[in-house]
Amino acid sequence: MDNQIMDLLFNLLGILFLPFFCSLIIVFSGQIRNTVAPFFSLLSGLGSLFLTFLLIKEFSEPIRFSWDWIALGVHKFYIGFFIDSVGLTMLAMIAIVAFAITIFSIAYMSKDDSKGRFFAGLSFFLFSMIGIIFADNLIMIFLFWELVGFSSYLLIGHYFRRDDAKDASQKAFIVNRVGDYGFLIGIILTYWHFGTTNLEALAILIGADVSLISSGIGFFLICGFIGKSAQFPLHVWLPDAMAGPTPVSALIHAATMVAAGIYLLIRVQFMLSFEVMSFISYLGTFVALFAGFCAFAQSDIKRVLAYSTLSQLGYMSAIFGLGFPGIALFHLITHAFFKALLFLGAGSVIHACHHEQCIFKMGGLLKRMPITSLTFIIGTLALCGVYGLSGFYSKDAILIGAHDANNLVFYGLVFAALLTSGYMGRLIWIVFFGSPNSQAAKNAKEVNIIMYLPLVVLSFFAIFVGFTNLWPAQLGATILFDLDYLHHLVNYKVLHNKVLILGSGAWILGLTMAFLFYGRGTKFDQLEKQLPHIYSLLKRRLWVDELYAVYLDKVQKPIAESFSFLDEMVLRGFIVRGCAGLIGIIGASLRLLQVGRLDNYVIWFFIGLIAFWLYGLNMF
Amino acid sequence: MIYPYLLLSSIIIPFSVGVLFLILVKDMEALLARFLGIFGASFPFICAWVIYFNYDTNNLDAYNFELILPTGLESLGIYLHLGLNGLSLPLLLLATTVGLSAIIYTLFSKAIGNNIYVGLLFIMFSGLIGTFSSVDLFFFYFFHELALIPTFIIVMLWGGVDRHAIALEMTIYLTIGALLSLIGLISLYQTSGAEAFNMIELKMALASQPLSELFQTNIFALLFFGFGILVSLFPFHSWAPKGYYAAPTGVAMMHAGVLKKFGLYGLLQIAIPLLPLGASNWASWLLVLGLCNILLIGLVTLAQKDLKKMVGYSSIMHMGYAFIGLGTLSILGSGGVLILLVAHGLSVALLFLLSTCIYHRFKTFNMEKMGGLGVIAPNLSVLFGLSILASIGLPGFANFWGEFVIFTALAESDLTQGFLYLAVIGIIISAIYGLKAIALIVFGVPSEVLKEKFHNGSLRDMSYLEIFCSIILFASLLLYGIFPKVLSDPINESLSKYNAFISTSVESRLLNNLNLKLDTYNE
Repeated sequence: MDNQIMDLLFNLLGILFLPFFCSLIIVFSGQIRNTVAPFFSLLSGLGSLFLTFLLIKEFSEPIRFSWDWIALGVHKFYIGFFIDSVGLTMLAMIAIVAFAITIFSIAYMSKDDSKGRFFAGLSFFLFSMIGIIFADNLIMIFLFWELVGFSSYLLIGHYFRRDDAKDASQKAFIVNRVGDYGFLIGIILTYWHFGTTNLEALAILIGADVSLISSGIGFFLICGFIGKSAQFPLHVWLPDAMAGPTPVSALIHAATMVAAGIYLLIRVQFMLSFEVMSFISYLGTFVALFAGFCAFAQSDIKRVLAYSTLSQLGYMSAIFGLGFPGIALFHLITHAFFKALLFLGAGSVIHACHHEQCIFKMGGLLKRMPITSLTFIIGTLALCGVYGLSGFYSKDAILIGAHDANNLVFYGLVFAALLTSGYMGRLIWIVFFGSPNSQAAKNAKEVNIIMYLPLVVLSFFAIFVGFTNLWPAQLGATILFDLDYLHHLVNYKVLHNKVLILGSGAWILGLTMAFLFYGRGTKFDQLEKQLPHIYSLLKRRLWVDELYAVYLDKVQKPIAESFSFLDEMVLRGFIVRGCAGLIGIIGASLRLLQVGRLDNYVIWFFIGLIAFWLYGLNMF
Repeated sequence: MIYPYLLLSSIIIPFSVGVLFLILVKDMEALLARFLGIFGASFPFICAWVIYFNYDTNNLDAYNFELILPTGLESLGIYLHLGLNGLSLPLLLLATTVGLSAIIYTLFSKAIGNNIYVGLLFIMFSGLIGTFSSVDLFFFYFFHELALIPTFIIVMLWGGVDRHAIALEMTIYLTIGALLSLIGLISLYQTSGAEAFNMIELKMALASQPLSELFQTNIFALLFFGFGILVSLFPFHSWAPKGYYAAPTGVAMMHAGVLKKFGLYGLLQIAIPLLPLGASNWASWLLVLGLCNILLIGLVTLAQKDLKKMVGYSSIMHMGYAFIGLGTLSILGSGGVLILLVAHGLSVALLFLLSTCIYHRFKTFNMEKMGGLGVIAPNLSVLFGLSILASIGLPGFANFWGEFVIFTALAESDLTQGFLYLAVIGIIISAIYGLKAIALIVFGVPSEVLKEKFHNGSLRDMSYLEIFCSIILFASLLLYGIFPKVLSDPINESLSKYNAFISTSVESRLLNNLNLKLDTYNE
């Protein structure tokens, strides 16, 4: 290999393993773990950022390396790296967001007595997430996919003394495993159907013969996406996952891990048949609406944001399913920045209010925490798609694309936009305006600079990241491709104006309605008071959780217990005793051997052995 | 060539150390006794790795490091014929690693400071190494019994509650299993007309003079059920959870970790290659019963409240994957089985060890009475959590590759593909019970009694002994998980030599398909 390729390889491995070694160092630093952890995380974050910029600078064409990992018969599975502009875009986003969140965590977690575990988990998560981005075949993606699930489990369970963290971490892992069940089968079927799981090879094979695409495999593969991106009906784990520390929610459950599902879709798009694609798009629209409704019934600030994340993921999959992977990626990137900003803002609010998370106990925070409030409002406006902010550009593209492809999805998404600004408006009016509703909120003070600096940086990105022409030329080729397609539509001007009016109308209407309905800084939920039935319906998330609980209690548990009972009683008690008895009846000698004392057995063994040996030596 | 003698001495040395312990050692605390113990446990481990690095995968013979010694039983065709191939080498590594960990733990933990116990454990250890390095079938069987009998005695003398009944149940089951397989082996030898009772001769004899299908089917049935009982095949599994529950840690580790693998090793090394027609007639039974192991026993595992029983049941459940892998009768499936055997052996031994460590903190195995281990023993909690995750197939640990390769093998032919959809449910079931165990033990707040003990210093995190013994196993799991080639290279070499073994049609179809597609790819 020539030098330049070797350099790239080292660069790549550096980006992948820097966080890995960081977490190793933290784990093995023993007693001083808590002191050194922030320092090493910061160092590794800086290093990753630097190496990523270097990689973007050097990048000209897709990079690939591969080695064989395990070989049995004619079958070989490979470790392989592959990075193209899609991966590079994801990588740049992850490096920036992760760095901001690391800085925020240093202040946010400063009082925690197990910082070491937290930072080690965070670094390990970054290692596995970057592994997904770099993987060149489905098996490697699956491998890091599971590791991402593991680190998410670890971090959700950070406050392991609390019951909610205990249940939520279990739930997240198991629900993800259900998705992985399908994903794993999909990968295995892909291997036998095509003879390889290498993504590029698959693309070429299908490019040569489109009839190779099979809907069955496609449906199995997207199970992974449904689990990790928390789409219906496996969405139940995400709201509960808010039991983890807030920076974790920002990094894993808003910006990166849940987006990995969308990334997977983009990677395997060529393997998905028309039926699978339209399924994804309807599913996404449904989730966008469903989660939007649910968000209205939440009183925990983080849970509102969690439902908002669900709804935005629905947006991405809806537009992906209509055949615009670039736009889905675009929204993924802009969403990552403003949603990370919102979560960190929420974290800063929670921190200032002494771990109060209920929005009805906040209120009037704008005067008390101006920087946090302003950045939070910027994030909200970006999320609502206010003209000029990053969210506008990606949402605009999504709506135009949807209008071009499918009217039903289009109107669904416009309505979801209205819902978004509605519940975000509710949040903003209640938390930041009016007067404080609790002593904690009254005493709230602006957080220190280490915490608000990341907010300022992220709000800068939340404003400007939508301008794709400011991006380095190496990034975003796929995004530009899809955007170009939209710009060259015959009726682009008309569409653009229509979407501009509908989109802007949606956020203006949503924020105003929220203001009229909830007012400023209220102490209680208007919806709960005035429409209790609808409120409880939404609060219970359409009974999906109840359904799971019924399944666990009424189906799985009795079955498991009755099998256990059968195993104890029937097999062991009845059949085995019966057999032993039978043997006893058949032969008295056997009975002597086996039902008698154990030492008899040992003695007989040696007698037999000696007799056998003597026989062999022709002594008899 | 020194290596064959290394192999021989790694059988003899633990045996002699065991005998010395039985008759000479009076004071277990004595420096000499400890030195002897450490030497006897670590020598085979070092030998195994030396042998591994000198193993020649390009050897044209079926076995490396062959050594033939007379025994006086030549008239019966029995020699002490040692040797290793790619199937036994990984299991030798497994046996020596688990043995090292189990013996060192027993030697230094004060639980049962008894020279007879340690002596028997050493004899068991030597039997284990002997089993996997015998080419001769008589010794293959003999060494197995040599390892099995100490198990019974130890459970009988030092077992937990109800030990007499449990030891008896184990004895009945395992003796019947061993007897059935012995009958199978002897009749195979008699009918084949081979000149010596070893695998090489048998194979040659059968190659020139194949057995009839009916005969093969019958013999295979004997071997299948005989070996199957030894591996706790459904529905002959009920000895296992009780047995492991009663067994002291060292024996539970050695038996569940290594000795139990004897049955599957026998099926893989002897039954399937020598009786291909019999195997293909029984393949559907392998698959169906294996599936019962996974799903039914998996559900039973879910209902367990006792940590040690849960580990025992989960080990039965994971054996189901191995049976299913064998049932595919393919290189891929069998390779997966071997990787899984090593991985599972390490992880189940590790879990038994850590369960005992946890027991010492809580003084109970009942998981519902535990909680808050994360507060009082963080290192133990992390290791336990990771070991559970390893055993449920988290990538990075060897178990993942075993399960993944077996699942992949299932989709190979349309006949077995249906089993794929059912068998993979196992990964969800094991996640549920695994995480439940972690949640009950590690998460939560410790009880007042524990807090008290923790503050006055009588309850500590892992001792150096516990760390050492578990890290050996843990590191091996990681090693094989990250570099599966360490195992798969020798396995692949040996499996490729079994021509009878490959379900040729499928294999060649795939090969054609692959080449065709890769040609288009290259264009």
